[in-house]
Amino acid sequence: MKTIYKIFIAGIVLLFSGALIVSCSSTKDKYTAVTDVEEEFKIEKSGAQMWGEACNRCHLAPSPADYNDTDWETISLHMRIRANLTEKEITKIEAFLKSAN
Amino acid sequence: MKKLIILILIFGVGHTVYGQTYNNFDTDSTTTTEPFNPSKTQFMIRGYGHTGLNTMSNDDETESSYVGSAFAPIFLFKHSDKLLFEAELEFVLEGNELEVGLEYADVMYVLNKNMTVRAGKFLLPFGTFMERLHPAWINRLPTTPLGYGHDGIAPSSGIGVELRGAFDLGGPSLNYAVYSTNGPRLKDGSEEPEEAGMLMFQNFEDNNNSKAFGGRIGLLPFADSSTEIGFSTYSTSKVGNRDSEYENVGAFLYALDFSFVKQIPALGGFVDIKGQYNNSDIDDATFIEIHEEDGEEEEEEYTFGNNSNSFYAQLSYRPTMAESDFMKKLEFVGRYSNFNAPEGAEWEEQSEQYAFGLNYWLTWRSVIKIAYQTTDSVGGHDGGGITNGFYIHWAIGF
Ligand code: HEC
Repeated sequence: MKTIYKIFIAGIVLLFSGALIVSCSSTKDKYTAVTDVEEEFKIEKSGAQMWGEACNRCHLAPSPADYNDTDWETISLHMRIRANLTEKEITKIEAFLKSAN
Repeated sequence: MKKLIILILIFGVGHTVYGQTYNNFDTDSTTTTEPFNPSKTQFMIRGYGHTGLNTMSNDDETESSYVGSAFAPIFLFKHSDKLLFEAELEFVLEGNELEVGLEYADVMYVLNKNMTVRAGKFLLPFGTFMERLHPAWINRLPTTPLGYGHDGIAPSSGIGVELRGAFDLGGPSLNYAVYSTNGPRLKDGSEEPEEAGMLMFQNFEDNNNSKAFGGRIGLLPFADSSTEIGFSTYSTSKVGNRDSEYENVGAFLYALDFSFVKQIPALGGFVDIKGQYNNSDIDDATFIEIHEEDGEEEEEEYTFGNNSNSFYAQLSYRPTMAESDFMKKLEFVGRYSNFNAPEGAEWEEQSEQYAFGLNYWLTWRSVIKIAYQTTDSVGGHDGGGITNGFYIHWAIGF
């Protein structure tokens, strides 16, 4: 009876942790094919680093907390065009600004 | 009992497997936790202003005045992820009058990842100073370098269309802009004889049918975006009025620009170097000078090689890695600039200028600037000589 009890507990724990791991690790990205470009991305810089570099070129870089997500969208489009940034740069920087505000 | 446990396990595992398999992630996104979906249409009012005290002195007089009081509201209207409208009004107090200007008003549309089209009145990417660095909260000194602004040789804005974009070269990147505008007009001296041969860049309605074409190409050779070198041109085959003797006078302008901005740990902060060289070459033309001799007006024709140039280089340093909070916000700036207007012109001038500044950054877009500037010129508006200026300004972007 004791072993059955142990198995039962272990099973519950496994089930829980398994469910936890699976649900936490299942991001949408996993379901899209990983292309070569995306492989490269992994060793590339983060949006935060790009923000520190690109947004200081003309003026001092604003901090993510200065604007809300909606304003960051407008500003990102404005800066993308005014500063002639590449699509990759602005996409990553915008994502960083919106995640860190 | 065993059966029961197995049943529970099967049920538990089965439930998770089912959930994972048939989860289409529709309800997975963060939007469900937000009270409403943000609108794609967005409107922002922003802008900048500055004000300050200028004290200027030359050989015979000293002038001191609270100045600036400029207010420039900017309207940004985002229609969709690709369509944006921007407009800037400028209110300046000058000579006891309020001057209102439309700095720019243009609409832009992202065509694809490497190309955006703009149309309307926009700041020209002729070099970088006017397009990127002139707003008071961006410019590190309270003054503009020689060669810009009123009577300058570098154009600031134009009315027309433009294509621009950038390419990622896997580390380095390249950006470009090509545009066509109404182009500059030639001042033929009929209104202001002392300015005959200068270009006037405000040309709301074209004075001839020849459009001006320009462009800039910028290269950021390093992956850290620290360095950019750019080359720009702006030219037109006609700057004179239609059917006038000046109609076929052409103009060719070019600029070289350089920028380096990087936080260098060995130096404990940000180093910022900017520079631009402008050259303007206008076809020679004959202008008329009116003398007064023995009470009679006499006309005399004259001509000159109409070539001007200007240059500036600026170095600034912010000790952002300093221990003290006060030091972190300081910035030290030095700038050299010069300007050469054609020999033989009524506006002939050779000037050299040094400016030194100390800035205190209250925030990323609000700064108190203290600066000293000395200009040594031969010729020019005020007849030349040495002019020294002391400035205390406060600029704020919002
Ligand atoms: C090439 C120069 C340049 C770079 C690089 C640049 N900016 Fe700007 N930025 C400007 C200029 C110029 C303005 C002022 C626009 C105006 O007033 O007409 C501005 C204005 C702003 C403003 C005020 C709101 C607005 O949209 O006008 C914000 C916020 C801003 N920049 C954020 C950023 C961020 C974030 C980055 C990094 C992705 C960045 N900038 C990179 C030149 C630059």
